[in-house]
Amino acid sequence: MSRLRRDPREERATHRLTDGGRPRWGLEAPPASGRLRRDPRREIEAARVPGLQRLRLDRTSRSIIPVIPSPVEPLPKAAPTIRIVEEPAFLVAVVPDAPGGRLTPLDRQLLGAARDLADVAGGATLVLAFGTVDGLGLAGADRVITMAGGGSEDPSARAIALATALSALHPRHVLFPESAKGGDLARRLVARTGEELFTGAENLTGKLVTRAAANRRIEQRMAPPGLMTLAPDAHSPHAGPAHEAREIPAPDVFPSGGHGAILSVEDLPVAADALSLAEADFVISAGSGIADFDLFRALARALGATPGASRMVCDAGLMPRAAQVGASGTVLEAACYFALGISGAPQHLQGVARCEHVVAVNTDLHAAMVERAGLAIIADAHPVMSALLVALRAEAQE
Amino acid sequence: MKALVLLSDARHPVSGRPAPAATELQAVALAHTLADEVNGLHAGPDAEAARGALGHGLTRLEHRQLTAGDDPLPSLVAAIGTAPPDLVLAGPRAGAGAQTGLLPYCLAEALGWPIVADAVSLAVADGVLEVIQALPKGARRRWRMRLPAVITVHPAAPAAASFALGVARKGQVVETPGLPARIEGPPVAERPYRPRPRLIASAAAGAGAAERLKAATQATGPGGQVMVAPPPEAAARAILDHLRAIGVLKPAERG
Ligand SMILES: Cc1cc2nc3c(=O)[nH]c(=O)nc-3n(C[C@H](O)[C@H](O)[C@H](O)COP(=O)(O)OP(=O)(O)OC[C@H]3O[C@@H](n4cnc5c(N)ncnc54)[C@H](O)[C@@H]3O)c2cc1C
Ligand SMILES: Nc1ncnc2c1ncn2[C@@H]1O[C@H](COP(=O)(O)O)[C@@H](O)[C@H]1O
Repeated sequence: MSRLRRDPREERATHRLTDGGRPRWGLEAPPASGRLRRDPRREIEAARVPGLQRLRLDRTSRSIIPVIPSPVEPLPKAAPTIRIVEEPAFLVAVVPDAPGGRLTPLDRQLLGAARDLADVAGGATLVLAFGTVDGLGLAGADRVITMAGGGSEDPSARAIALATALSALHPRHVLFPESAKGGDLARRLVARTGEELFTGAENLTGKLVTRAAANRRIEQRMAPPGLMTLAPDAHSPHAGPAHEAREIPAPDVFPSGGHGAILSVEDLPVAADALSLAEADFVISAGSGIADFDLFRALARALGATPGASRMVCDAGLMPRAAQVGASGTVLEAACYFALGISGAPQHLQGVARCEHVVAVNTDLHAAMVERAGLAIIADAHPVMSALLVALRAEAQE
Repeated sequence: MKALVLLSDARHPVSGRPAPAATELQAVALAHTLADEVNGLHAGPDAEAARGALGHGLTRLEHRQLTAGDDPLPSLVAAIGTAPPDLVLAGPRAGAGAQTGLLPYCLAEALGWPIVADAVSLAVADGVLEVIQALPKGARRRWRMRLPAVITVHPAAPAAASFALGVARKGQVVETPGLPARIEGPPVAERPYRPRPRLIASAAAGAGAAERLKAATQATGPGGQVMVAPPPEAAARAILDHLRAIGVLKPAERG
């Protein structure tokens, strides 16, 4: 995570003219990297009105000043390359949470950490997924095994399946997210196999893992053991080229049930309007473009989304202060943000920065929120809200 | 109905003095919602922190004495095995020490009981325990299982009962020697904690203020689909289809 260091000597060397003789440097050529530097002399030269004694500059034609291309040709945009690790020396296994088949930010960080552990000595990353998961190649996975029994949510059954799979695959490391689901699975697994688990790693390199202990008074460090769980935001996700994410057959796992005493496991419906904004997964939010707040609340209820608002609306007292999204309100962790009549001021967008999907309805095509959105509707929000309600009611009655 | 709460040798997070861990006290309160007899169990050299839980509603505290550095698990298994309760409750992490959160899982495995983590509410009907488990993002999951079971408690569970000196005085502590068991394992080096910055979305090195602002507010990814002045019905359809495609809205139920 360090910033590139400038090397003045190297930068000077790029300016060096190779016309022999005395060392000379041409200052025209802008440095090959970094931001383009404005050269006022050149701009004046280009704006000079030719053929007059007196110096006259035509600044209106600024835009047609030829931008001198940098001397180093930009790399030709080739087709996206895929890195393939054909004969891995060892495997680093990752068990992502991937709720609903999508990687969470922590899952991506986990794959980034696995990538680093694998690349130290020519290993490959292996994802053990319960059910299909999207975007594994981009996140840095070399191999993928889809474990059987992805439908069952009982973690005790999953732990048994994982234990048999891991004993057949012999990965050098296995990484779990230190989340409610991943942490639980990892602990069940080691309780079963009796292996060592390094929990909540906050720093992970090929040589050393570190975790906090004793209420963050001390930290414990050791060489990376076989099984580890990684704390959130401790490692950067994989940023390099995509990997192949080749599907390989799962080792034979006897389909096993969970613990015999467990009779049933079921997810309960969440009352979305009782959730706090920070916890919510789907937020629908109103800005100054909205006038009919009864309609807005009815839509929020019908969609099962948690209602939020921009600061303009909260300042006007139309929504409670607790509903404010943004830098001075709540920073959301939601997967989806539905913005109605919100312009998308930077202070507001900061609260939405971690949302993966944004849907916007706005009358202004050039609003920042429209630019941020994955789906933008340029229309008055009120008829759209009514149409949404009608469509949802019609579906419910079918 | 008998419940047993596991108490670690916890330290107060700020003062560092012996004090019961907050989630373990919540476990005592949760156990009182179904059991009339709630006992405590601690294995370790010193039960001073666990003793603090007596004032929060424990009837009796059993202390298995160990020397410092011993593994509490064999003593706990032995103590539970002599008079098995219907339910064992524990905290998600101990209030001191390595705080790995592994002990309840190892205990459940050693006893052969099922374990459910992060409970926020419990109910019993006909020997079947119903546990409501807290999941991230406010989701809840209901487990039904036969007793006995091991349950760990989530911080979102009901608050603990406040301390009552009279109750604390009445509570009795039973001291019994534990089973000495050395912990073997790979060496772990310890040193004072050094906080590390959490990673946040950041612009490329050397980027200007505008790019940093963009990195803080804008998501990376392909530009979106824009519909200009569609009829409201078409817009509603497109929004619902998009919400279903990204999985935040349940598919329409066919009746
Ligand atoms: C220090 C500081 C902190 C701040 N913190 C926050 C914060 O935490 N959260 C926050 O939200 N703001 C915050 N703000 C305020 C922020 O700068 C903006 O003023 C605010 O977000 C704008 O709210 P808005 O988008 O609802 O209103 P506007 O900017 O007025 O936007 C209204 C939008 O609705 C559209 N519109 C109008 N009519 C319709 C219609 N019928 N149908 C559809 N669209 C329509 C318009 O085209 C426009 O884009 C902060 C400001 C400061 C100075
Ligand atoms: N020495 C101990 N005696 C009794 N219970 C313990 C002991 N250590 C841990 N526990 C229980 O196990 C939970 C998790 O502890 P740990 O795995 O050490 O983080 C704690 O919240 C306690 O309920």
